Amino acid sequence: MSRSAQHLQEAADWLARLQRPEVEEADWLAFDAWLGEPGAAQAYDAVQAIDEEIFQRGSAIRGESAEPRRAAARRTFTIDWRWLGGLGAAGAAAAVALVIAPWGELLPPSDTLYATAKGESRAIQLADGSHIDLNTDSHLSVRLDKDARRVTVHDGQALFDVAHDAQRPFLITAGDETVRVVGTKFDVRRRDGQLTVTVLRGLVEVSTDGDDSPVRLRPGQMLEHVEGASGVVVHAVAAEDQVGWRSGRLIYRDQPLERIVGDMNHYFERPLRLEGENTANLRFSGVLIVDGQDAMVRRLTSLMPISATPTDDAIVLRGRPSAPH
Amino acid sequence: MGVGDSDKAGLLGLYEEKRANLVRFFAARLNSRAEAEDLVQDLYIRLAGMESVGPIDNPSALLHRIGSNLMLDRLRSQKRATTRDNDWRSAHTISVAGHEIADEPPADEVVASRQRLKALVEAVEDLPEKTRQAFRLHKLEGHSHAETARRMGISVSTVEKHISAALKTLTRRLR
Repeated sequence: MSRSAQHLQEAADWLARLQRPEVEEADWLAFDAWLGEPGAAQAYDAVQAIDEEIFQRGSAIRGESAEPRRAAARRTFTIDWRWLGGLGAAGAAAAVALVIAPWGELLPPSDTLYATAKGESRAIQLADGSHIDLNTDSHLSVRLDKDARRVTVHDGQALFDVAHDAQRPFLITAGDETVRVVGTKFDVRRRDGQLTVTVLRGLVEVSTDGDDSPVRLRPGQMLEHVEGASGVVVHAVAAEDQVGWRSGRLIYRDQPLERIVGDMNHYFERPLRLEGENTANLRFSGVLIVDGQDAMVRRLTSLMPISATPTDDAIVLRGRPSAPH
Repeated sequence: MGVGDSDKAGLLGLYEEKRANLVRFFAARLNSRAEAEDLVQDLYIRLAGMESVGPIDNPSALLHRIGSNLMLDRLRSQKRATTRDNDWRSAHTISVAGHEIADEPPADEVVASRQRLKALVEAVEDLPEKTRQAFRLHKLEGHSHAETARRMGISVSTVEKHISAALKTLTRRLR
């Protein structure tokens, strides 16, 4: 390695090290000493200038870059939109028409299906810079068209962090609801005919089939909707609770046991079953760490007045009779 | 014990000597050389206004400590969001009749910076896959080293190596 390449590498190492969350006095003293070497300061200044530029233009770079060579490779033919960016929409359309004409059989981009098994979660990076965290036992499909980015939530739960792109709205269909966003972060859950949308950042618009007045949600608001029914309910929630699943936690405030069991059954093959008259409606508030099924059931039985009995194919939960008077 | 003016003079002298490197140090922490310049200027004002300068074991370390405290004050008072995208979105996105509209910069600026942006994007895309992924998560999406490591299933020190390698490559190509 040449002397200047060596300095550049050391400078980049230093910059990365100085951007750790914790930097100590000793780091400063060593850094100051290193800068005394001839050529070091110059190399560092060059690296820092680039780093700063990237920091400032992060959103733009993220929006522009087309990550997915893999996705693109599946298509027989692609257009590099970055090339056309300067032409404006009309120019772009004209240029595309010219390119397409000789072949005349450009395939429409296909949906990409993402799915997780029970107990699995998955981080998905989309070509437009958006990010999706897919929870356990969930299915969704994605299609990035040039006029819109379209996602269909077939079943399950996902946290979306949508990259800003004024030209291409991000549309999510979940049952009979459509969620329209520009750039924001929110959680969508579709289970058992029940849809919830919880916003963590930005603004989200939700519209129902056949209803032309969309509902706008702000951070800390959750929308609930029963598929097929008319109308939605919006209320204030601790939004972070709704995405506890990302860090392996299920967080509940006064929820029926039925809901908790429903959630747990998406993590484990062996089902939990509820028996006894009011067992399903027992209320629970608290945090359940998602680890092993047996451990979770054990904690639940210690936190709630229920007993657990394993059977051949399930674990049966039953309300304990209240203590005699 | 009396405080010698000579101690303070010595400290200010050391400040002059270390000034440029302090700016370099805080530029990395603040992601901005201009902000680092401001901070190091504040540091001078703080030092010049000090009534007493006790015996100092390590004056260079003291400069760092005071500067770091000023930096924390600054970060707290500005409530700088950990992710700049938040700021970007709230500053540039407005809502008109139920649609969010991005407030774009003037057209001539777009043209002027577009070429550079294209170069940046291409340089990032040409990074080796793992390096690009780490760079993207940390630098473009604002995740911490630790979160980036978790998402990629690699160690924090490997993340740091990827980031460092990316910065080196990008600097060579774009400087």
